[in-house]
Amino acid sequence: MSTPSSPAPNQPARRQQVYDSSRRPHPAIEELQELLRFWHLVVQWSRRNIKLRYKRSILGVLWTLLEPLMLMTILTVVFSTVFRFPNQAFPFPLYILPGLLLYDFFNRSTMQIVEETVASLGLASRIYVPRSAFALATVITYLVNWAIALIPLIAIMLVLRQPLSWSLLTVPLGMFLAAVFALGVGLLVATLGVFFHDVKLTYQVLLTGWFYATPIIYPLEIVPENIQKALLLNPLLHLLALVRQPVILARVAPLENWLAALGFSLAALAAGWWVFTTRRNVFDYHS
Amino acid sequence: MTTTADTAPEISTGAHRDAAPAIELTGIDVRFSMPSERIVSFKEYVLKRISGKLEHRELWALRAMDLVVQPGEFVGVVGRNGAGKSTLLKVISRVLTPTSGRVVVRGQVAPLLELGAGFHFDLTGRENVYLNASLFGYSSRVVQRHLADVIAFSELEEFIDLPIRNYSSGMLARLGFAVATMFRPDILLIDELLAVGDVGFQEKCLERIHDFRSRGTAILLVSHQVGAIAGHCHRTLWIERGVLKAEGSTDEVLQRYAEGFAEP
Repeated sequence: MSTPSSPAPNQPARRQQVYDSSRRPHPAIEELQELLRFWHLVVQWSRRNIKLRYKRSILGVLWTLLEPLMLMTILTVVFSTVFRFPNQAFPFPLYILPGLLLYDFFNRSTMQIVEETVASLGLASRIYVPRSAFALATVITYLVNWAIALIPLIAIMLVLRQPLSWSLLTVPLGMFLAAVFALGVGLLVATLGVFFHDVKLTYQVLLTGWFYATPIIYPLEIVPENIQKALLLNPLLHLLALVRQPVILARVAPLENWLAALGFSLAALAAGWWVFTTRRNVFDYHS
Repeated sequence: MTTTADTAPEISTGAHRDAAPAIELTGIDVRFSMPSERIVSFKEYVLKRISGKLEHRELWALRAMDLVVQPGEFVGVVGRNGAGKSTLLKVISRVLTPTSGRVVVRGQVAPLLELGAGFHFDLTGRENVYLNASLFGYSSRVVQRHLADVIAFSELEEFIDLPIRNYSSGMLARLGFAVATMFRPDILLIDELLAVGDVGFQEKCLERIHDFRSRGTAILLVSHQVGAIAGHCHRTLWIERGVLKAEGSTDEVLQRYAEGFAEP
């Protein structure tokens, strides 16, 4: 026998909301309004992702700490003798670790946005939710991951007697710009990825190339001068300067890096947001 | 503005006539434009586009659909597979933007279409309540305040802190129903009356749905089970190939619908 139940209360916050299909704002604006209205969804979804990440692996949080360290050790052994740095005032592991963390963040979060967007299609065709919420939650998830990985970075700095300077406080700002950039790129790729299988595979190849086009494991100076100029068009190069220079040079990255990173990030987000939201109807009619 | 409380006697007969309609559809068209062949790769798409071989087939899921539903009405929708019933629900829940026409929906919509949306099997029942509720836009503070009611309604007190991978399908559906109906919505969209759990629980679900209706919720029930429509709905729509074929009292429409099936 079932137990008698109390009647369900009315909806909380009973402001009468009216949906009128003839009076909708531009999709790019509407999605932003809805995202703000659904910010609880972003919070819950980020928490879920983080929880699941640590529930699934036995080592849990420890894994997040160990993974970049292991990669750093391998790459240090392999490459530290290969590349000659002009003036090696800093240990090689500290040169590569900030870049590995940045690239790892960018790689995983953008790929995951594509996955989440495709996975949420079924859900979003039945319940009204702003789809960008899942993309934003993905970026937040990996941003938290990155923040946790800063602990071993600082530990290594201490072990290798690298000076900890105040400039390190600008690293989170660089990480934030990287997150803005990743969200923009992720939304762009996800929009195409919904329609075509090969987009994800192509992007994956592109990401591998992107790794080598960014001076993560090699010093920029060893590249021929004309290629160096071309590499300055790589947004990751500027973002990398923001999160690496405080670590190896104990100074805030130069203003031109900040401006370039800011410009690229905002442009990527604007483009990604525009494409993702204005294709909304196409999403609907696809599923 | 009139308050719905003043119109209490109206409730038992159906519509709250003084209030503005909960749902208003005017001349709704939904046209799907689908490539005549399935194109799955970007390369293929670009090649076809360049060579001008990209052909689209048009499919009208809804045509010139008009519908007004008042608060407190229980409206049934019948029609064959692919007639446009689900599309109608999607247009109302604003998941789908109509190709033309106007939709006005007043108040909060609760879709009872997919119970337990976003459930994750590695998380506990309690954790999933928060997740599922966030998809309806409820904050964790609000959920926390009503969590005890949700758990009590789903009758899962002993299991709520277990990962839901250990739940039976009936338990999952009970939890999903409890979350989806934790608050009274202004509009409730139902795709098939759910066979949730045992008979006792099903009755409890129906009781809750009728309680919502008597308090002013407009309900749209899409079903293939004519009996379910006959048992609950004041008014019924019959949709055929995206067009409203008949609308009126449930008995009348269902009879014509049955006759329509009898014809060759």
